[in-house]
Amino acid sequence: CFYFENKHFLRDRHVRFFQRTLQVLPERYASLETTRLTIIFFALSGLDVLDALDVIDRNTMIEWIYSLQVLPTEDQANLSRCGFRGSSHIGIPYSTKGPGVLHPYDSGHVAMTYTGLCSLLILGDDLSRVNKQACMAGLRALQLEDGSFYAVPEGSENDIRFIYCAASICYILDDWSGMDIQKAIEYIRGSLSYDSGFGQGAGRESHGGWTYCAIASLCLMGRLEEALSQRELDGIRRWCIMRQQSGFHGRPNKPVDTCYSFWVGATLELLDVFQYTNFDKNRSFILSTQDRLVGGFAKWPDSHPDPLHAYLGLCGLSLIGEPGLRKVHPALNITQRAFQHAEQLQLTWRDNGGSCSRRH
Amino acid sequence: MSGVRDISSESVEVKEDRGFDVEAEDRIGDGYFLDPTRYIFYKDRKEWADLQPVTQDDGPNPVVKIAYSEKFSDVYDYFRALLKNDERSNRAFALTADAIELNAANYTVWHYRRVLLQALSKDLREEMSYITAIIEEQPKNYQVWHHRRMVVEWLNDPSEELEFIADILSQDAKNYHAWQHRQWVIQEFKLWDNELEFVESLLEEDVRNNSAWNQRHFVISHTTGFSDPAIVEREIQMLQDQGLSSPPSLLERVLELKETHCSPYLLAFLFDCYEDILENSNKKENMLEEDRKETLRKALDICQLLAQEKDTIRKEYWLFLGRSLKNKCCLSEPMVDGFEASGQQENS
Repeated sequence: CFYFENKHFLRDRHVRFFQRTLQVLPERYASLETTRLTIIFFALSGLDVLDALDVIDRNTMIEWIYSLQVLPTEDQANLSRCGFRGSSHIGIPYSTKGPGVLHPYDSGHVAMTYTGLCSLLILGDDLSRVNKQACMAGLRALQLEDGSFYAVPEGSENDIRFIYCAASICYILDDWSGMDIQKAIEYIRGSLSYDSGFGQGAGRESHGGWTYCAIASLCLMGRLEEALSQRELDGIRRWCIMRQQSGFHGRPNKPVDTCYSFWVGATLELLDVFQYTNFDKNRSFILSTQDRLVGGFAKWPDSHPDPLHAYLGLCGLSLIGEPGLRKVHPALNITQRAFQHAEQLQLTWRDNGGSCSRRH
Repeated sequence: MSGVRDISSESVEVKEDRGFDVEAEDRIGDGYFLDPTRYIFYKDRKEWADLQPVTQDDGPNPVVKIAYSEKFSDVYDYFRALLKNDERSNRAFALTADAIELNAANYTVWHYRRVLLQALSKDLREEMSYITAIIEEQPKNYQVWHHRRMVVEWLNDPSEELEFIADILSQDAKNYHAWQHRQWVIQEFKLWDNELEFVESLLEEDVRNNSAWNQRHFVISHTTGFSDPAIVEREIQMLQDQGLSSPPSLLERVLELKETHCSPYLLAFLFDCYEDILENSNKKENMLEEDRKETLRKALDICQLLAQEKDTIRKEYWLFLGRSLKNKCCLSEPMVDGFEASGQQENS
């Protein structure tokens, strides 16, 4: 094993890794079918972080993403099921325009709506073909009494991940009518564990991914200091910073895993203490999971890379200021560049009379 | 996160897809047409001839396209056809099992299967056996656990759950889905009675199992609570090997432990104790100035010990905490030096 060489960041390999991801995957990736839009997001945002979006054809990507939008039918009977699909697996004929097609089982998925919007932003789209009122209606239909969200209107597990997706959607579309913020905050607070990390819900073991969802959601809502006391925030900082072993793990006494360099790292950044972590050891670990042949990053050294870890590994490196990588907005998990594009869009929407804030 | 399955154990390289094994069909011998185990595509099955298969349509420029074999596409083309018509039949129910076998992460298939379970009044006990087998094979899949929860809710019968989950945990004692399901079952059906015992058995196997510790807290907080001193005492005794003749303060006990068990966690805990004392003394104003200074000095000593020796990976953080504490205590005299930030090294 070439220790010295492992410290070298192989930019071109990663670009090619994401390019291949965007093309064709073999059948053994079947379990990713319903979440293909998240895979596109990992690849596009990864290329964005690498400042390599020039290798893809933006327009064909944008069209394909819009084909996944669940649009209202003529009579708008399906409004509460609108949003974006993860893929074409239901069998709706390809279309990038409305009206929507009536189908007993077609509906959006909150994580796909989130990553779909992010992907469009990354590609420079102006979101003008997004039916924002329909997205808000679809979102409202997913929130439960306890403040958490389902992923799909047919029902699914409900937890803090989907609160994060919902908050991101509202933030991007500049419209918080899609969720009851107060209830969401209650659920988030209820998920704060005795050890100052956040679990997936009340009583559950604290975990780096859910802690990210909690803190990032509160930041997007602009309610961080309202929802959590200074003492609680200090406790959360402590819990997060104790996750660093070399890289970071997601729970005490679990192995370190590249993706937590982002989940926990970004949380620490949002809490203003990421600067106190050990950048050197974090970087060494992330690079030890780099696949020198096919590119990308894996969760562990000597393991196979996958799009999620490839993307989050890059984001982890971006947080510590790796040269050549764009900065990532820690709450929205897109580059600052894409984030600024979103801000610009929001300014034009507000200038045009706040069209996003109108309730349907 | 977001339902993306961890595929880190698989290579990304695009290999030639073997898919459906065509050898069997080439060997057309006497037994071929009589062999009941020969796989037949749905499109070749007489009893499905009435249904028009629906292909997946990704348009002219598909992105992240998965290259399905003929067998895979065939099953799902017919699944899509059933969905479109919202067919409620036994043949549809049977097909969902094939679809699940090919992709157990497809939440639409599971939802449709649940619709059919109810529409056809299927035997839910059989469904429990079915989902048990699937979870054993794929214990980190969100959909299968959600499905099990729905069936248990319909049956209103949790009697198999604790044993089943214990079995899954015996294969992976930290499986988050398993613990989550366990908490739901216990809370929903009030099955608290033997859970502490279960937790203890897991801690005996691995005292560092954080999931088990979390479960311990979960059970106690929902049953006896922590306010009863007897409970706190029992927990403290659980945490150390020695017995206690009379209960000293927690701080004294931890200070004793510090001599022999000087871990970063223990030191951090001590720091937190001192910080709490200082914070309370701010409010109550009944602490002697010398005592405050002494407590602050001890707290800052701990920060230095952690930063320089016991927890160097978090050096910058411990120095930051030391600086913050000094500022909060607003003492002007120079105390322990060396709390300036050393900053991060330049990245190469």
